[in-house]
Amino acid sequence: MEAFIGLYPARRKSLSHRHRPAESTFRFSSAIKPLDLLPSLNRFFLRILRVWARITAVQPIAPQNAASIGVPSVGKSTLMRNASKLAITAAGAAVACMLSWQAHAQAPVPDAAAVDNPPVANCNTTRDTAQDPGDPSKRIATPIDSNLLTLGQPCQQSVSPNGLAADGLLNMQRGFDFYSWLTFIALNSPADGKVIGQGPRPGGDAVTKWEALSNYRPLAAVMLEKGAKPTWGTRIVTELCRPLDGPDKIVLQLGEAAWNQPFKTGPLIDQNGNYALFDILMNKPMFDFVVTNGLYSKQGQERFDGDISFPLGVNPAGSEPGRMGAVMLKVSWHILDPDKDKVIIRQFHTADALIYFPGPPATKTGPACVAKTLGLIGFHIGHKTKFAPQWVWSSFEHVRNAPNEKQVAARDLHPPYTFYNAACPRCTSNNTPPSPWDPPASLKFHSSDKTQVVRSTILPDAVAKEVDDLNRSFRNLLKGTVWENYMLITTQWPSNNESKTDCNGVPMPMFLANTTLETYSQGRVPLASSSCMACHGNATTRHVPAVASDFTFILEKAQCENDVCGPPAINKSVANVKRCGLVNPAE
Amino acid sequence: MIDFTRRNVLGVAAGTMASAISVAQFAEPAAADDTADLDLFVKLSSALTGIDALLLAPSRDPLQIKQVYFKQARSDPAFESLMQIVRANPADAAGNIMNNKDPKIKFLGRSIILVWYLGAWYQPSALAQTPSPASGLPFKVISPTAYTQAWAWRVAQAHPMGYSELRFGYWSDDPLPVDDFVKAKGA
Repeated sequence: MEAFIGLYPARRKSLSHRHRPAESTFRFSSAIKPLDLLPSLNRFFLRILRVWARITAVQPIAPQNAASIGVPSVGKSTLMRNASKLAITAAGAAVACMLSWQAHAQAPVPDAAAVDNPPVANCNTTRDTAQDPGDPSKRIATPIDSNLLTLGQPCQQSVSPNGLAADGLLNMQRGFDFYSWLTFIALNSPADGKVIGQGPRPGGDAVTKWEALSNYRPLAAVMLEKGAKPTWGTRIVTELCRPLDGPDKIVLQLGEAAWNQPFKTGPLIDQNGNYALFDILMNKPMFDFVVTNGLYSKQGQERFDGDISFPLGVNPAGSEPGRMGAVMLKVSWHILDPDKDKVIIRQFHTADALIYFPGPPATKTGPACVAKTLGLIGFHIGHKTKFAPQWVWSSFEHVRNAPNEKQVAARDLHPPYTFYNAACPRCTSNNTPPSPWDPPASLKFHSSDKTQVVRSTILPDAVAKEVDDLNRSFRNLLKGTVWENYMLITTQWPSNNESKTDCNGVPMPMFLANTTLETYSQGRVPLASSSCMACHGNATTRHVPAVASDFTFILEKAQCENDVCGPPAINKSVANVKRCGLVNPAE
Repeated sequence: MIDFTRRNVLGVAAGTMASAISVAQFAEPAAADDTADLDLFVKLSSALTGIDALLLAPSRDPLQIKQVYFKQARSDPAFESLMQIVRANPADAAGNIMNNKDPKIKFLGRSIILVWYLGAWYQPSALAQTPSPASGLPFKVISPTAYTQAWAWRVAQAHPMGYSELRFGYWSDDPLPVDDFVKAKGA
């Protein structure tokens, strides 16, 4: 029996994953026609192999490697039966060796890490300080001027303990906060390539880079129903939403994570009684890692037998190009009325949105679709970078969200606030609204309760002051645009990224909370209070037994293939790779 | 003998949590003398506890627990006398303190050991009681951060209840070697 012997190179093992089965350099598939894959020279050698196969009546086998064909001592079958076939067998061995060489030389195994994390031409490597030209031992602040608006996004932080302060840790904090601002500017620059703040809408607003499906993809469009494989760049508009669709509209599909805060602490209700809405997005390197490794379904995660380790962002160094690495965003919106809010609407980055309620089990309401104008109120950035494998966590929010504790105590209030009623000083602050919580299609809360938000003091004084100074400078740079109304809360980063006993890398600062995204968990109690890294360090995959999922909760949102979830894969090893905190990877 | 039952620790911790002082992060000492004394305090603590000074007070230290414990110890009337012993002979300070004839200094040394290991402050005068009260010695958990950073957990190759810094799945694996917890990198 003749078999079309198809040859294709298996994926090479990389730092980011292992592929099963891993032993074969080549695999044989009757479904693949070699003539489609191999150069013409190989066609000649394949003809030789076919003739040889007929003569020796070889059954189709799956040898360990191509060079084992025709070698009597290798393989499951004894191939030689008499001396007259010796020459043909030797020729077959030679052919196989040449094919093997050719496969290595002409069809190089794609580097999965490079495919998931391609080179970036313009990593922004600007540091927050520069050498003082008058005194090389000192550093001076990098001017925060219009040059910074066009330099692009940092692929990695550029920080140093040497800086403006005597305290090295504070200098590094400032470096990270500076990097966060550069990232914020790059991500919120117009998707059409213009400079931030020079868009066509009021306040120079425009569709941003992260809202363009060519750059970022929402979670609901990755973790699809029935565990289907997602496709980059495609826009998914359900039938219910199509009558409401229009140019530049974003699609926001609701699930619990879109309105319920972390630790299921409840929804956030603004002063107009509307629900705040949340969305999660990922960039292409992160998306590619998910898709390449089949992590977009529960069963795909069960089949994956490698290390869940998203690609790193790294600045260019020598001949090595920069690479962006995995970036994920979590954004918060509040609902604006274009008529009633026409005065304040100019202070927000806005988006016209199609808000889709899938119906049970994702939402109690629906299926339904409503169109709303949304104003951006919160912006988390998570970026996995070299020297920060625990990721770097930046958080921004709108300056009009709420006052801070000191302002409330001093009655230094500047209303209107989106989430604080200055006329109700006795209203309990940061209190979860009463249930039921599931939003109706109107997105209006069922009672007159509104969340009275106060920004808690959770940062060290020195960090708070350093961030305030940076915010003043960057907001001044963006003056006259909608973006002057956004401020950095701070950046959380791993101060000891190699710690074996603190797998979160000893986060600095310890706590970080956004008033719109972690309203009810602001504070300073370890694990109970919000810390990006302490929380995300516990993230796992969807399947059981789960494995750590590299600081992202995205993977736990994977759906089951064809809605059949199956029993827990109880025999699957919990972890079979070296990982922080583990001594003996399970076999 | 100090009663370290879980109930006692948690009971006192719950009661003191509301009044816990916040971690003094980036609380720069006011004077140069304070900086020098803080440095000596860390080195003394290292000698008393057996934990490397680089771990008690890392060069990049977001938690700044050393500041909290320094401030707590300094509130004791015998602290200045203790520091005079340290300044006079840093190399032999641990032994001179633990074997000091003055019980105020001797038991202050013990309080310092306990604060690093347990994240809780035992008054030296309470430690000096002989015999220890049957109801156990009174103590104050200094802060939530002090509770989670107590070295007893690390020496036990474990973690506080409800708080772990290890990666998901660690419970199905052997504990990390004790050196990973108590030896500084390169030591």
